[in-house]
Amino acid sequence: MSESNETNFYQEYEVFSKKSVKSPIQHQFSLLAPNEEMALSMAVENFMRREDVLDVWVVKRSNIRSMTSEERLNLTKRLDNKDYRRTKGYGYLRKKWKEKEQGMLDEKEIMSWKEVKKK
Amino acid sequence: MYNYLEYGGSDQPNVPEQDQEKYEQFMARIEAGEKIEPDDWMPEDYRQGLIKLISMHGISEIMGALPEKEWTPKAPTMKRKLGIMAKVQDEMGHGQLLLRVAEDLMKPYGKNRENIMEDLLSGDLKFHNVFHMPTKTWADAGMVGWLVDGAAIISQTNMLDASYGPYQRALQRICQEEVFHAQHGEAIIMALAEGTEYQREILQESLNRWWPALLMFFGPSSADTTGTSKQDTMIKYRIRKSSNEELRQAFLDKYLPRVFSLGLTVPDETIHYDEEQEMWVYQQPDWNEFKQIIKNKGPRSKERLRLREVAYENNRWVREALSPEAIGQ
Amino acid sequence: MTQVTSAQEAMNDAAYLKALTDLLYQLADDDFLISFRGSEWLGLAPHIEEDVAFSSITQNTMGHALMYYRLLEDLSEGEADALAHEREPSNRRNAVYFEKKNGEGEYLTEPYYDWALAVVRNFLYESFKKVKLEALTKSSYTPLANVAGKVLMEQPYHLSHWKIWFNQLYNSTDEAKTKLQSRLEEAWQQFGDVLELGEYATELEHFDIISGEDDLKERFIQEVESTIAHIRDLSFGKAFGSGREGDHTPDLDQALNTLAEVYRSDEKAVW
Repeated sequence: MSESNETNFYQEYEVFSKKSVKSPIQHQFSLLAPNEEMALSMAVENFMRREDVLDVWVVKRSNIRSMTSEERLNLTKRLDNKDYRRTKGYGYLRKKWKEKEQGMLDEKEIMSWKEVKKK
Repeated sequence: MYNYLEYGGSDQPNVPEQDQEKYEQFMARIEAGEKIEPDDWMPEDYRQGLIKLISMHGISEIMGALPEKEWTPKAPTMKRKLGIMAKVQDEMGHGQLLLRVAEDLMKPYGKNRENIMEDLLSGDLKFHNVFHMPTKTWADAGMVGWLVDGAAIISQTNMLDASYGPYQRALQRICQEEVFHAQHGEAIIMALAEGTEYQREILQESLNRWWPALLMFFGPSSADTTGTSKQDTMIKYRIRKSSNEELRQAFLDKYLPRVFSLGLTVPDETIHYDEEQEMWVYQQPDWNEFKQIIKNKGPRSKERLRLREVAYENNRWVREALSPEAIGQ
Repeated sequence: MTQVTSAQEAMNDAAYLKALTDLLYQLADDDFLISFRGSEWLGLAPHIEEDVAFSSITQNTMGHALMYYRLLEDLSEGEADALAHEREPSNRRNAVYFEKKNGEGEYLTEPYYDWALAVVRNFLYESFKKVKLEALTKSSYTPLANVAGKVLMEQPYHLSHWKIWFNQLYNSTDEAKTKLQSRLEEAWQQFGDVLELGEYATELEHFDIISGEDDLKERFIQEVESTIAHIRDLSFGKAFGSGREGDHTPDLDQALNTLAEVYRSDEKAVW
């Protein structure tokens, strides 16, 4: 423990918010506050004065383990050979099904199955 | 909102030999349009240049809130009171965004917000020339919102593709809010321009007073004028795109026709658009005065700094009271 | 009492109208003066992030004042801007404590504003405002009940913000606690008229426009008790009289001279 001084007032908090029930939580910016309660009380009016907010997170920056510059450079690159795990690799099925006078179960089709006919 | 001042670092980057490879990689990245993040390697003069630029930009927003703030409690209607409060609040908010960016860049030197405020008060950190000027009437609130902010919008949008990621993202937010500021300023000006004789009088008087400061806003066109402009470094590092003079011309292009359309004049009988050179020809403002102003020797420099100092010192007990006891807890 | 659903209806009953109008001035003037004091603070708060947050609260509050002035406009009292900018001090109905200057100095020069005063006053103000708004949602004057309901949507943030400031400072250094304590003692000497309903208090209760003074005071005490435990044992003085009945201090003159300076500079102007 060291003695309290003014510099410690400026703790860094990262601010995240959620705009609507369907939207993911999104990083906004960072602010300085003495503690998380204060940070939360200032977050909305500092960064979201003109937009809807459903939820806000404040996270002390020192609690975030982010990638280092080197990790971003070395750990985020991939070979472009992963078609097998994406629908792109299965596009040929469209033609096959068409020959059989059937539609392909693509994203649009599957996402439309929300509603099932009432029996 | 600024760019003309000297900001340390030389035009010839002093890159140690062992970093030459990193430097080339860095240049390749920014030339490919990639963004540099705070913990990425960067040349020392890039970091220093950004710190000077962004802390000055940020502190100018904070100091820039003061001239308009003088008219905030006095705004003539409820609607104007609300509008100018929201506008000045945004300026403080822009200061917040920018200072956060500058603070992260300064971290390796162990500096923080406290140091920024102290540098401002000691005169080491400069703020933009326009905010050293006095305000005399409500028309000045309109003039700051319309033309001073207009000039700021021109210089800030010019950096919307800045190579430094956090600055670029802050500018993106700022410029979006500037759209509201532009219209807020236009609304005040329009009411005055279409108003009573008294209103038109204070409007013209205000423009006459602000004109030299507006020309100075973008800084001298070349280093020859004041001997300190380092605009080229920031262009090389892809922070800004255009020179001071190009920005000033863009400002005159956008705003002069609007000024004239309101029946206003500018205090320069020689000003005209030269079709051949495709640029505005205007009387140079007094660049010696400019040098004095940015040395905190402008008409209101002392008073504005004093205001900030009183607020800062007077509230110290609050910051002390709420400082968490353990460092890095 | 049956509901009075429109301004027209209210204007048909002279006694009702008089009481209602007086209350609306109290509500409007309280919010207006508090937000004027907030606008003087702009740019001078303890740190930048707080400045931005505080200003949102100030803007909201001035927005609330405007809603009440509009209700008065509907009752043919005159235009909202005229009501805000032109009325003489003796016609103002805000409680005296809310016109009090932010501290020593002026916002333009040497503003030795006191954050302890800001925290104490705004915390007490928002606590009291919440109680009053909740009572107003049941008002017999429907347009007022509707406005109260709307204001209650954004007012909880105000109260929560100032409660955090109050609690944190109160539980921090001795210096901070002493400052708050002395501002609290000052508040109790002046707070009496805040809890009053003015000349037409009896009629306001009788017409069910708002619940009575005793009820409001009790609810206010309950609201604040969790933060300031001994509040029930206090007595609230009226050191400078009752703003509800037109008593005011030179601080109000300073406020009105400032906020109406431009408005008065050209009577014919549209701004």
